[in-house]
Amino acid sequence: MTDDPPPHPALLPAGLRDLLPPDAEAEAAAVQGLMDAFSAHGYQRVKPPLLEFEDSLLAGSGAAVADQTFRLMDPDTRRMMGLRADMTPQVARIATTRLGQAARPLRLSYAGQCLRVQGSQIAPDRQVAQAGIELIGPDGPEADAEIVLVAAEALAGLGLGRLSYDLTMPPLVPALLDEAGFSPEQRASLGRALDRKDAAAVRARGGALAGTLTDLLLAAGPAARALEALAAAALTPGARRHAERLAETVAAIRVRAPELKITVDPVEFRGFKYHTGVSLSVYAPGRHEELGRGGRYVCGEAEPATGVTLYPDAVLRAMPARAPRARVYVPAGTDPVAAAGLRAKGFATVLGFEPGDARAAARRLGCSHLFEGGVAHAI
Amino acid sequence: MTAAFRAELQEPDATGPLILALPKGRILAECAPLLHAAGIHPNPDYANENSRALRFATDDPGLDVVRVRSFDVATFVAFGAAQIGICGADVLMEFDYPEIYAPLDLGIGACRVSVAEPKATAGTDDPSTWSRIKVATKYPNIARRHYASRGINADVVHLNGAMELAPALGLTRVIVDLVATGSTLKANGLVETEVIAKVTSRLIVNRTALKTRPEAVGAMIARFRDALAAIS
Repeated sequence: MTDDPPPHPALLPAGLRDLLPPDAEAEAAAVQGLMDAFSAHGYQRVKPPLLEFEDSLLAGSGAAVADQTFRLMDPDTRRMMGLRADMTPQVARIATTRLGQAARPLRLSYAGQCLRVQGSQIAPDRQVAQAGIELIGPDGPEADAEIVLVAAEALAGLGLGRLSYDLTMPPLVPALLDEAGFSPEQRASLGRALDRKDAAAVRARGGALAGTLTDLLLAAGPAARALEALAAAALTPGARRHAERLAETVAAIRVRAPELKITVDPVEFRGFKYHTGVSLSVYAPGRHEELGRGGRYVCGEAEPATGVTLYPDAVLRAMPARAPRARVYVPAGTDPVAAAGLRAKGFATVLGFEPGDARAAARRLGCSHLFEGGVAHAI
Repeated sequence: MTAAFRAELQEPDATGPLILALPKGRILAECAPLLHAAGIHPNPDYANENSRALRFATDDPGLDVVRVRSFDVATFVAFGAAQIGICGADVLMEFDYPEIYAPLDLGIGACRVSVAEPKATAGTDDPSTWSRIKVATKYPNIARRHYASRGINADVVHLNGAMELAPALGLTRVIVDLVATGSTLKANGLVETEVIAKVTSRLIVNRTALKTRPEAVGAMIARFRDALAAIS
């Protein structure tokens, strides 16, 4: 009988990874930076558990990630539990239950790890970090703008100033198709074509709206131009109201951050199945992944809410490299007070255990400095 | 809060030239008049299939051309390695990458994705009674989706060429393949029993590139749109 060789002990399940020094620390610092910015804007942190009953986890906006959620049975209650694939539904649950009586507007922030059943070829990670904010209660362009502005400020604080913020209005096209009398089947096939910006299919399936939809499809781009095209388009009354709200939100952002790079995509609704108003995706130039996304949704039964989730893994990949904290080798026998003094100055001290060639030991341990003669020398 | 949004930080990054991915083979020749009309003049070597170069400069320093297999055009664009590409709708259907937008139908490379089977078996029984069917194809996803929508499991034998041999050699009963004139099918004793989709080539763009470099990518789409209007 022959056996297959045993799997290598370093092999992890696909889509999972170990973060090593210095990346693990950089990630923690990035998350902390984001959370500090959220906190500075009055967003208070909550910490939902990793697991909860699937009925609550997958209710409302959670249904969007139902097929990406790992499940296991609670041996205690014999009910199915889900391992969160997204934290927003958890925060919405907290806002409507335990914090149901808390004063509105309710500003909550959160950070944590999520798991999903399967990565995609383009985004293979199965464990995904999230850091986000939810603004529950107000329904207006000012609230929509606040989410974009706070996210932008948090990212700018990490040195990510050159991002583009893509605003969309997922309910606009459905409203337009409803009011134009499209059947659910027509909507589904047209929706798919719009989703892929497949102009040929939109023209073929768009009926009387083919011209309008094609114009809007090609209007995606810098906010000013896209909003102009949207204003000029022949929209039905419901769709018009959505278009106006989008324009008001852009105007509210412009007042406070005139230089922010905003693009608008009037017909996009991919991945925004549960979004009921202005939505946001954050992109970094030259990077092929979203740094975050969010938008307006209904919290619980009927409460207006909006929020954004940033993805620290993607944020970290887009961030300029930071110089790690300087590490200084402190040879065995050094006065502990002197070492404490180095730490107070911001050094990380690496204590030697054995006497010997201190310089060689410092190099071997990846130290940038050596403590010698009462001073930290760069080596 | 505006202090964080200094103007110099908001300038789009200089991220190098746009990359246009073109498919090797049949469609490449059909692209030439369109590229010419769009004012895109790559190094003439790009059309030489024997050239070993894969990346070609154009007269526009902001645009380079790469030449890859037609299935790989979609992959390069989906991953953002190329921002723009030209590829058949069959490839887009097969991969169904959500990261790809297809804003223009270029009207070239017309053909169809079809089901074919030997003349001898075609029409001999009722497909609605099938639970499963063995299919040879280079489009496993299209074949599975097509049959799944009829309640049939497709057992796919994934081949990269010479699909037409599969039924005669007993590998599968049917094939799902690209059909242009039908002469290859005929030569191998097969008949086309169903058209899954009509196919033409599309201008495709990477979703993120359209969001982060809207001016450059938008201008390129406009150039192709104008070129299309000019030559049709």
